Amino acid sequence: MSELTVAQRAAGAEIAIDRAPYFPRRKKMITGRSIAVLVFLSICALFFAVPLYVVVVTSFKTMAQIREGAIFAPPSMWTLEAWDYAWNQACSGINCNGLKVGFWNSVAILFPSLVLSIALSMVTGYALALWNVRWAGPFLFLLFICAFVPFQIIMFPLISMTSTLKVYGSIWGVALVHSVLSMPVLTLIFRNYYKDVPQEILSAAIMDSGSFWRIFFEIIVPMSGNILIVILILQITSVWNDYLIGVTFGGFNAQPMTVNLANLITISTGTVAYNQNMAAALLTAIPPLVIYFLVGKLFVQGITAGAIKG
Amino acid sequence: MALRWSRLSPQLALTPALAVTAVAFVGAIGWTIYLSFTRSRRLPEYTIDWSEWGRQYSRLFRDDAWMISLRNLITLGLGSALAIVFGFVLAAMIDKEKRGESLFRTVFLYPLAVSLIVTGAAWRWMFNPDMGIENFLHQIGLTGLNFSWLAHADTAMYGIILASVWQSSGFYMALMLAGLKSINSEIWSAAKLDGVPLWRLYIEIVIPMMKFTFITCAILLSLGVIKAYDVIVAMTNGGPGQSTYVPAYFTIQALSSSGNLGYASAAAVMMLVITAVVFLPLVLLTAWQQRRRAEAVK
Repeated sequence: MSELTVAQRAAGAEIAIDRAPYFPRRKKMITGRSIAVLVFLSICALFFAVPLYVVVVTSFKTMAQIREGAIFAPPSMWTLEAWDYAWNQACSGINCNGLKVGFWNSVAILFPSLVLSIALSMVTGYALALWNVRWAGPFLFLLFICAFVPFQIIMFPLISMTSTLKVYGSIWGVALVHSVLSMPVLTLIFRNYYKDVPQEILSAAIMDSGSFWRIFFEIIVPMSGNILIVILILQITSVWNDYLIGVTFGGFNAQPMTVNLANLITISTGTVAYNQNMAAALLTAIPPLVIYFLVGKLFVQGITAGAIKG
Repeated sequence: MALRWSRLSPQLALTPALAVTAVAFVGAIGWTIYLSFTRSRRLPEYTIDWSEWGRQYSRLFRDDAWMISLRNLITLGLGSALAIVFGFVLAAMIDKEKRGESLFRTVFLYPLAVSLIVTGAAWRWMFNPDMGIENFLHQIGLTGLNFSWLAHADTAMYGIILASVWQSSGFYMALMLAGLKSINSEIWSAAKLDGVPLWRLYIEIVIPMMKFTFITCAILLSLGVIKAYDVIVAMTNGGPGQSTYVPAYFTIQALSSSGNLGYASAAAVMMLVITAVVFLPLVLLTAWQQRRRAEAVK
């Protein structure tokens, strides 16, 4: 089965294929065209960087300076007041305990979702890739379709099911829904990785009277380091950045940070404190940004492999 | 080759995934489709009045907000397609001009790492009519320019498009870059030898060679546009009025604010239909690609 080929051809090339080596040649003088291209690229880079710059400087300004209206000006007086307020006192709905509530909720949601979703899809991917299951083909195709299904069509049934299971509005409910919704994509990624496991290793494992679970724990898990780290990064960022699942299943007590942030910025009553909003936005963005700047390459691999997630 | 050792364990191991798929996906979709034929309001009702089973759908297509949503979906799709074009241009330039490749890639891709709520918050602030970029433009003397797009019903969608393009161009650049790198490096030197100008090489050789990458990007983009919800919430919350409603937003609004389950289900089914229409070419394309590869082997 290779329904994934289109998305993965694009993604896989990134990982596997490098340009054929060129022959060494004399270092050329920089040409006019190169300069033009570099100038154009720099202007584009500016377009991408400006929002981050604006958010950062705004978060350090006082409201008095913001009202003067020079959005690009650096803070005349750097202050952490807005950050402190956003973290400790900002309101989300009727609760005014700051974003720290949402931060810890997000952390609490993150760990069970990671464990559940990775365990489930890793075993499923392994069984589908390497064991002879008769209905593996149709099942993979079904998973492929499930990966594209819009959330809205399963939203109400999932709400009903989580209430029946008594997990609606709790950290566990949100984590469970994350695991369910990411299962198809993650399974397909794992399955595509395991189907290239060299034949010899498996034949040897069978000779060694390897059972399903022994082969999994002694051979498959130890060789999954690369794919695990890519999937881990993909899952951390997508769970952390999620809004829709958090707002739908979090109820009042398990809202992740993105929901707090959305409540804060869409508030329409009273005067809006833009410095606090921007500090809150940065606080929400920092964890995934740190991951991105540390291991950007793995992040891109994960994003392109999970591209079908849309 | 697949192992044939034990028959039971792998099937047992697949049970949880199978159950999840059957209940949370297949079953849930069936449930929602069923609900869309009922008169369910806040709570589900399971009797279908067969004389008017399609009433939720006929109501849907008479609803102005839904028609606005569909129109906005097309606008957003066409506008966001700029991200593919932009992504290709960036990828082609980075690919030819090796200097600063990793720096530019890092800068173009970082918006993808942050939540769309954060993206929306940042752009909402820059579009602020009193203190945002418009104010800056007016201060430097460009008083004729208008940048408070989100405040006006007729331009609000363009604001959302700009933020979406900003957020996703890097992603398409990464896909395009991968596509460009898989092109045989000899065509560049061959073109140089023949004195073919670079732009002709791109239009006549490179882009046709990358048609699969382009189609993939287009399908991913369409699926992303159908799912667009977070960015709308963060930037406009559907407003001003209902001018930035999209189907994803409309459906959730019908369920959570209006508490109209049957109606929301009908809208969700329409979303599924739209997804299927976009998705079908992907399946066909893959099948065609496989056949072509099989023929090439022969």
